[in-house]
Amino acid sequence: MNNKIWIALGILFLVTLGFEFTVLADYDSHWWNAIPAFYAIWGLAGCIVIIYVAKFISKKFLNRDIDYYDN
Amino acid sequence: MITEFLTIPGVLILLGCFLLPLLPERVRSSVFLIFPVAALAFIMMRPDGYTITGAIGNYDLILFQMDELSRVFGLIFAITGLTAGIYAWHIKDLSQQVAALGYMGGALGVTFAGDLFTLIVYWELMAVTSTMLIWARGTRESDRAGMRYLIYHVLGGGLLFAGILWHFTQTGSLAVQTLEYEFTVANVLMLLGVGVNAAFIPLHTWLSDAYPKATITGTIFMAAFTTKTAVYVLIRLFPGWEILIWAGLAMTLYGIFYAVVCKDIREILSYHIISQVGYMVVAIGVGTDMALNGSAAHAYNNLLYKGLMFMAGGAVMYAAGTSRLAELGGLGKKMKWVFALYVVGGFSISGLPLFAGFISKGLIIDGAGYAGYEGVMLLLLLAGVGTFLSVGLKLPYFTWVYDAGNKIDLKPIPVNMYIAMGMSAFLCIFYGVFPNALYTFLPHEMDYNPYTIYHFVEIMQISLGTFVVFWYLREKLKGEIVMVLDLDWFYRKAAPATRTVFVNKVDRFYDLVEEGILATASWSAKVFKNPMTWLNPFTDKKNQASTYSPGMEVVMSFIMICFLAIAIFYFI
Repeated sequence: MNNKIWIALGILFLVTLGFEFTVLADYDSHWWNAIPAFYAIWGLAGCIVIIYVAKFISKKFLNRDIDYYDN
Repeated sequence: MITEFLTIPGVLILLGCFLLPLLPERVRSSVFLIFPVAALAFIMMRPDGYTITGAIGNYDLILFQMDELSRVFGLIFAITGLTAGIYAWHIKDLSQQVAALGYMGGALGVTFAGDLFTLIVYWELMAVTSTMLIWARGTRESDRAGMRYLIYHVLGGGLLFAGILWHFTQTGSLAVQTLEYEFTVANVLMLLGVGVNAAFIPLHTWLSDAYPKATITGTIFMAAFTTKTAVYVLIRLFPGWEILIWAGLAMTLYGIFYAVVCKDIREILSYHIISQVGYMVVAIGVGTDMALNGSAAHAYNNLLYKGLMFMAGGAVMYAAGTSRLAELGGLGKKMKWVFALYVVGGFSISGLPLFAGFISKGLIIDGAGYAGYEGVMLLLLLAGVGTFLSVGLKLPYFTWVYDAGNKIDLKPIPVNMYIAMGMSAFLCIFYGVFPNALYTFLPHEMDYNPYTIYHFVEIMQISLGTFVVFWYLREKLKGEIVMVLDLDWFYRKAAPATRTVFVNKVDRFYDLVEEGILATASWSAKVFKNPMTWLNPFTDKKNQASTYSPGMEVVMSFIMICFLAIAIFYFI
């Protein structure tokens, strides 16, 4: 993927991080707000967990041939 | 009185079902569109509290009742009916048109039903008409899936009707109103009946089984009406029922799981419906004004962007003849408008700023957070990650961007499909930019602005995190020709055994009984045809009736007459 897009996404992330530390007045409504960049970590970790867990379960137990019910 | 009766949206549209077959084929698709527009007009015209009543026997029925909640659902059902009608404008199949119209009439009928009897009539109508949209596909697979779908919905409708009757005998009330949070038999039956249509886990299998097998245009109607009417009824009857939080949460996560592992556009989108309805069900369980508004707003927006995504997916299927990711790929250049329109839907459903999902998803998630359900809030955010991953990134990436080297001949897409998708995409952006255009229609007063810096930071960080992981692990989600088992395995695999026990064995038993009766009859005819062999053991066993002596014939005749006389006397 184009480097420019990565740079744009990086800047966007820094902007959100900047907001988090400066402008946000109500940034203590939940316990996790004490962790910096919590939502980015949640998105990152959540996505990894979803992909690996879903992949594991489907490969191990659920995947079948496309005409499984016809046979 | 009669004219007023005809202004009930459900009745008006059902009249259309009788009118359409009488019209020439070339105007039928256009006349179809008049009905949702007319329904829209009547919904906008009627003030709050407007009712139309009628009576059957001793029962007073409220055939039409308008308030804020029914208005917001009625509006979006009519708008979706219109866009789906435009999307299907090129279809000339009368049975599909009538079924779709009847289905829309059923959904609007449920929305404005003021009593439970009226509601169940429209409810059952929806089950029947939507089944027709599956069967219209005409494949062996769709025939079977349609039958499973119908059986499931007959069961769900039966549960709801049983619950309504039980409720009526207990309370004497048919009003559509909030039920106490008590697990009485009537309440549980009604909750399960509505739960079938709302696709509660594990009652959801009809959805993921049948929707991918319906016709391309039929799926657009189906994705809209059945689950969202169930959400409407849940808001009416079960607001604040805490069990719904957990039921809804299970739906969001379960739907996401399957949306991630499935490899077919329409399967992914179908499972994703379950996840989205889960958000609404969670909000109904939370039950605060804000959460209930969120549920209604999310249903409203969901019809727009989910419809848009199904339309774009349908357009790909129409053009390429397949909806399997493994057989698609690299269509970005050839179908750039469909791609762009899909991305509007994908960004909306992922809740990115300036798109419709941003203004309603936040209401639900914040609604849960404000009500003190922080764990629920985090899990809903996790489901949001899965949403962006499955339908916001994986599906469009492997359909339009990633080039798997498949040679795909594309059929041109009818213009009306573009118009319908364009309308939906416009509304997705319109409500995203002007949230108050939707918020003014919501049933409860609230002070909520989605465009806060907190909300922006939250959704952008989550989406960025998801995107980065997707980009590095995207090969893991690549399309394959594979089927993923779901809980319908239990009844689909059990079907042969069930058929053996309840059909074949019973048939065999009847066969045996019949054979037994015939054998007895033929044996007795053979043995008793000549009573002389019994009356006189010394005669020839093979003697014939024609060789009887006259005296014997008299005796036999006398016995016969006596027998007849006694029989006649007895019966008279």
